[in-house]
Amino acid sequence: MSDAGVVRLLLFRVGRLLCAAEAERVREILPRLEPTRIPGAPPVVAGVVNVRGSLVTLVEGWRALRQPDPSGDGGAGVSGTTVLLEVGGGKKVLGFTVDEVVDLVSVAGESLDRRQALPGIDPTLVRAVGRRADQLFVVLDTDALLTPILSS
Amino acid sequence: MDLSQYAELFLAESREHLSACNQLLLDWEKSPANLAPVGGLFRAVHTVKGMAATMGYARVTDLAHRAENLLDLLRRGGRTATDELLQLLFRARDALEQAVELSVVGREEEIDVAEVIADLEGAATQLGRGGVAAGDIDARPTLVAVPAPAVETPVAAGRLVQVTLRAEAPIKGGRALLVTKKAQALGPVYAVTPPESAFEADEFDGRFSFRIGGAAGAEEIERAVRAAGDVERVTVGGEERRAAPGAAGPPTVPPETKSRHIRVDLGRLDGLMDLIGELVTVRGRLNELAASARDPAIDDVAIQVSRLSRELQDEIIQARMTPVWQVFDRFPRLVRDLARELGKQVAFRVEGKEIELDRAILDELGDPLLHLLRNAVDHGVESPAERRRRGKKPEAEIVLAAVRERASVAISVRDDGRGIDRKRILERAQRDGIVDPHAEALSDDQLLRVLARPGFSTADAVTSVSGRGVGIDVAVTRIRALGGSIDVRSEEGKGTTFVMRLPVTLAIVRALIAGVGTERYALPLTYVAETVEFGVQATTIVEGREAIVLRDRVVPLVHLRRLLGVSGDAPTRCPIIVLEMGERRSGVVVDGMLGQQEIVVKGFDAPQGTLPVFSGATIMGDGVPTLILDAGGLV
Amino acid sequence: MSHTVLVCDDAIFMRTMISDILAQAGFEVVGEAETGSQAVEKYRQLKPDLVTMDIVMPDMGGIDAVREIVKQDPDAKILMCSAMGQQALVVEAIQAGAKDFVVKPFQPSRVLEAVQRVLG
Repeated sequence: MSDAGVVRLLLFRVGRLLCAAEAERVREILPRLEPTRIPGAPPVVAGVVNVRGSLVTLVEGWRALRQPDPSGDGGAGVSGTTVLLEVGGGKKVLGFTVDEVVDLVSVAGESLDRRQALPGIDPTLVRAVGRRADQLFVVLDTDALLTPILSS
Repeated sequence: MDLSQYAELFLAESREHLSACNQLLLDWEKSPANLAPVGGLFRAVHTVKGMAATMGYARVTDLAHRAENLLDLLRRGGRTATDELLQLLFRARDALEQAVELSVVGREEEIDVAEVIADLEGAATQLGRGGVAAGDIDARPTLVAVPAPAVETPVAAGRLVQVTLRAEAPIKGGRALLVTKKAQALGPVYAVTPPESAFEADEFDGRFSFRIGGAAGAEEIERAVRAAGDVERVTVGGEERRAAPGAAGPPTVPPETKSRHIRVDLGRLDGLMDLIGELVTVRGRLNELAASARDPAIDDVAIQVSRLSRELQDEIIQARMTPVWQVFDRFPRLVRDLARELGKQVAFRVEGKEIELDRAILDELGDPLLHLLRNAVDHGVESPAERRRRGKKPEAEIVLAAVRERASVAISVRDDGRGIDRKRILERAQRDGIVDPHAEALSDDQLLRVLARPGFSTADAVTSVSGRGVGIDVAVTRIRALGGSIDVRSEEGKGTTFVMRLPVTLAIVRALIAGVGTERYALPLTYVAETVEFGVQATTIVEGREAIVLRDRVVPLVHLRRLLGVSGDAPTRCPIIVLEMGERRSGVVVDGMLGQQEIVVKGFDAPQGTLPVFSGATIMGDGVPTLILDAGGLV
Repeated sequence: MSHTVLVCDDAIFMRTMISDILAQAGFEVVGEAETGSQAVEKYRQLKPDLVTMDIVMPDMGGIDAVREIVKQDPDAKILMCSAMGQQALVVEAIQAGAKDFVVKPFQPSRVLEAVQRVLG
């Protein structure tokens, strides 16, 4: 992410976190898809889903970001949304479940603070922190988040 | 003209011809008096030369040209093969192959063929001295009425026409002959100087003259002469005419290109296959919809779509099928060279060359086969002296065979050598704790398991166990990755056979759909031998594993529910799917069978920790992804 | 009306290239043959305006094919495709009835010149 210029970000909510991913990494936004379990895979992997004939591995957002189970807290994220993200330099596509997509915003690169520790979230997953209407959001390092899951 | 678009075609076709050269050389070596292979060699090298020249690969062209010269002499001279000649030709072929490969990737300057060329020249000169070419310049029908000596012909009639061809004109003799033919249309041509027989000589420099009778005027004659092309200067009856400068520029051409390739890039076939895969998935969905709609019109359409997509699918699978000789053909040469190097005598046979496999599978087979064949020559077969001592004929036999089985192809490498020294391997395996220290013998199965351990061969046990492990782990891994299996049979003193079983195609397979809890899994029928019922069959414990006995054979059981971590208990009576891969079997216990269907095999990114029992995934008719169980991982 | 051409060569590479050159110049390649006997057969079927003929082919060579074709059709317009160093064969082909020749490596302009000469 360059410091200068405008960055387009997709904002979404996972549990209590407001997160963002670079819009150019977002392939598509889909409703929650029913995954097929992959035996042996870690719990953070919900399974594999069918995206118009292609098989995509689905990562459970709340588990990856250590948020409470949405099905447990009374409905907010029960339907949910799937964000298809490109990882590994666009070579692979992963599904990432979020509670809801909030907005697509353009922000000035310099308005983002590079990697910053936030309480309750693994600092290696944070690329930068931004602010939107008094609310902090975390720009996720999607590669750091998702690539280790796939490396088999 | 942009040649890069042709490079791939050039490479593919050159490889094919050079591969054929190997076979032809081997054929010639086998029956040195038979000249048919030499003709084939000549044509193959000639074709490569023409293609290389067109691509502008000067070194390939040069090398091919020298080789072609020598082959031409051999062909015409009716020479029998000598060891020396064969070695030289093998070398030249190898050099040519390397030169082709380097040229295509733009590393032409690395090609060093000076030595081979010198040797080819040397051999050609030697043959030439033997008077080989003499019989060749036979009496061809002469075109002109008045024969040589032409210079002395009386100047009684006709104009003297003197022609000089362009210095850069290729094959001047042919051009000169065309000139005289054109002139002949105007009047009788005679006193051709030098005589036409000289046109065939390489030394002909493109200057010649003739006389022409008849009434044609000088201009008419000149026009006719120039119409033959490549004419620099014409003088008719002493009157000289120069060529107009810049006469023949390249004509402008419309940019439309028409392609007629017969070869198809594998990537494109993969793309087609993916599309067909999606179509098959949609077809499944359509069938389900049609079934629930109960509308005969929709039924009709669904049936038609099914038929059409099946035909399309068959066509594409057929297009992917490639005969195994495309990979096998390089082995005879390899075995021959290796045997020579090691001082072994080996008769190598290839069987079932025409058997077809999916190209994607075939492409992966080269390395495993190479390992197995190398082992067979190096460690499997004995030296001629040792074979004599053991009462065998000194020439060992190695057979590479492909056989079509039900839905798979079995490819075997068989030798009649010394066999694997099981005692040594057993000791070693016991020391390493691979087998029970009290075990008395290794079964073929255990033998393979020991041999396939990575690194097993690199230990110092190599030579004492006749190095059988070399590369076996590579072969096993590769074959398993393709959804296949590998088996070994070995008998001391009699020989060793490795058998690889591979699915015919990777793309679409018939599979059993098995239910486990609420989950579904697909199990390709390729390796399904039969199904029996659990709860009816008595189970026993063999070597610590639950098993059933089917027709006197022990079949160890795998409970899929347990293996895959599905909670709850299986029904008391449930099916056992018996898998068979060569000699190995296992019974997979599932909750229920949900039918058979055609599935499109797709890859999926297996996350970390995924159980190593899946070969891929597919999408069922209802759109739900379903994992495909890998028989190799379960047996 | 564009002229029709039959392209004879045992190498797909060469056939493709010649066909491309001719097609770009507006000729219609109506057939291809890999061997001399195929060439003879296809000539009979297709009656093309022009034939390009490789000299060295398996089964029946180009020169024998020229003889056969000319026997059927003395006006057949056959352009030989030869390689360097085939002087004697080219001469033989012309004596057999070939109308012209081009030499590999092919330059499109030279191929088209020769074609014009043959058809002209």
